[in-house]
Amino acid sequence: MGIFDVMGPVMIGPSSSHTAGAARLGYMARLIYGRPIKKVQITLYNSFAETAHGHGTDLAVVGGLLGLPVDSPQLRESLAIAEAQGMLYNFVWKQNLAQHPNTARFLFYDIRNGNNRESGDGTGTFSITGNSIGGGNVRIIEINGHRVDYSGYHDVLMITYQDVPGMIGFIGDTLGVRHINIAYMSLARDAVEATAMAFLKLDAPCPLECADVLRANPNVFNVITINKLGDGI
Amino acid sequence: MNMKARRIRINGFTDIPRLMSKLNVTTLPDFFILSESVNKSMPRAEVIDKMERVLNALEESIVGALSQPNNTESGMVAGGASLLQQFSAAGGSLLGTAFSQVICNAMAVAEHNACMGRIVAAPTAGSCGVIPGALLTVAERHHITHERLLRSLFVAGGIGDIISIRASLSGSTHGCQAENGSASAMTAAAIVALFVDDLSTIESAAAFGLKNLLGLTCDPVGGLVELPCVKRNVVAAANAVACAEMALAGIKTVIPLDEVIDTMAAIGNSIPSTLRETSKGGLAVTETGQRIAATLRDK
Repeated sequence: MGIFDVMGPVMIGPSSSHTAGAARLGYMARLIYGRPIKKVQITLYNSFAETAHGHGTDLAVVGGLLGLPVDSPQLRESLAIAEAQGMLYNFVWKQNLAQHPNTARFLFYDIRNGNNRESGDGTGTFSITGNSIGGGNVRIIEINGHRVDYSGYHDVLMITYQDVPGMIGFIGDTLGVRHINIAYMSLARDAVEATAMAFLKLDAPCPLECADVLRANPNVFNVITINKLGDGI
Repeated sequence: MNMKARRIRINGFTDIPRLMSKLNVTTLPDFFILSESVNKSMPRAEVIDKMERVLNALEESIVGALSQPNNTESGMVAGGASLLQQFSAAGGSLLGTAFSQVICNAMAVAEHNACMGRIVAAPTAGSCGVIPGALLTVAERHHITHERLLRSLFVAGGIGDIISIRASLSGSTHGCQAENGSASAMTAAAIVALFVDDLSTIESAAAFGLKNLLGLTCDPVGGLVELPCVKRNVVAAANAVACAEMALAGIKTVIPLDEVIDTMAAIGNSIPSTLRETSKGGLAVTETGQRIAATLRDK
């Protein structure tokens, strides 16, 4: 840890895992989805579901989806803000002992267009699952059916593409000529759709220009960049 | 100091005198400022500035907490700090207004947390009232300079960090002793650091603070950070002041702080999981506790 992990975070109460962690999960899901949120279904599992009411877990998750940081007093009014901004949401409460006790799953509906290729999982939706692992820390474990492990401490690049030879080389070269080092990389593929997803943690943020070059490749469906989270988020 | 300097490893309080002489620092706050700066590759000025923001948020949490009575839907938090304030203002204080301020502010911030107020989770949200209640009140009553108060927060954070290295600060791991016990140890040490720099006096205060609250379980009614959490903050704050005063009077801990922390971990490991934040034992399963939990579930 470190002194500021002990002396913080500055947050809206009452619980670092059920309130601050929940807000952080919503915030990260918003960044990963990366587009204006029109409609989202939020499934809260286990302890998140059991004690959501008294911990403001529902308010915190929606606040995070709206881009509010964990210490924003506006988290308390997040449901009204979502309504005012026209962000549709609904909650599902579930028990599933196979899941971590504090799990939230987000299902974004892209009602602007149902383009399978863009949304990634072939159903016109975009899913993200995360855990609140204590002290306000979180971990994203699933994006569109692909397993990932992301806690917000790195700059990230996610690329969904047609699973053809040479794609890894293309990604590596595109980053390499820009002197961007890859700290970690994982690959997952969907055999049915013949799509693959590369999940990369980078030592520097992926610039817009670089993301555009990746997008311009005809085999690439979608590129998502996330800059590492700062303090207070 | 070279920013690429080697990481400063702290495994326990007993390492500190050796590290301090090696690094040529003379006070505990300077040691923790330096270690944070080196280990997190952050310039010293940024470390200080970050703690300024923590102090500011601690002060704001008291103001926010006292601005209105704090009540929760469960009814378990029902404006307790407001009542304490009125009682003290009407001359009811049992031991003078300073002690009343300690218990009132600790309760107020803990209640504010339960009501989705903005607090500093130092070390945790469930124990967020202890530092503002005890440390900030003692500093105010003794007209401690801003700089000295700021430096004492590094002592609080450093002691908490050592506890997290040797044990845990989480109620789900080691029970309430890890949250309010640790908060009390950190606060007692920080109060001492407001007045003296002596390492063994600071260590004694922290050791007393934790020793006095060893064995506390975490059995919150309905799984909420309300009962017994809020009043535990009051006890931990009062304990911190008493322990700091004992240490400042020259009383030395017989068991070194590191061994007390290890004991906390050992006791925590032997606390059944029903009493570690699962709400499956203790106060949570009393007849009344279960009734409150059932009412909350139906909402």
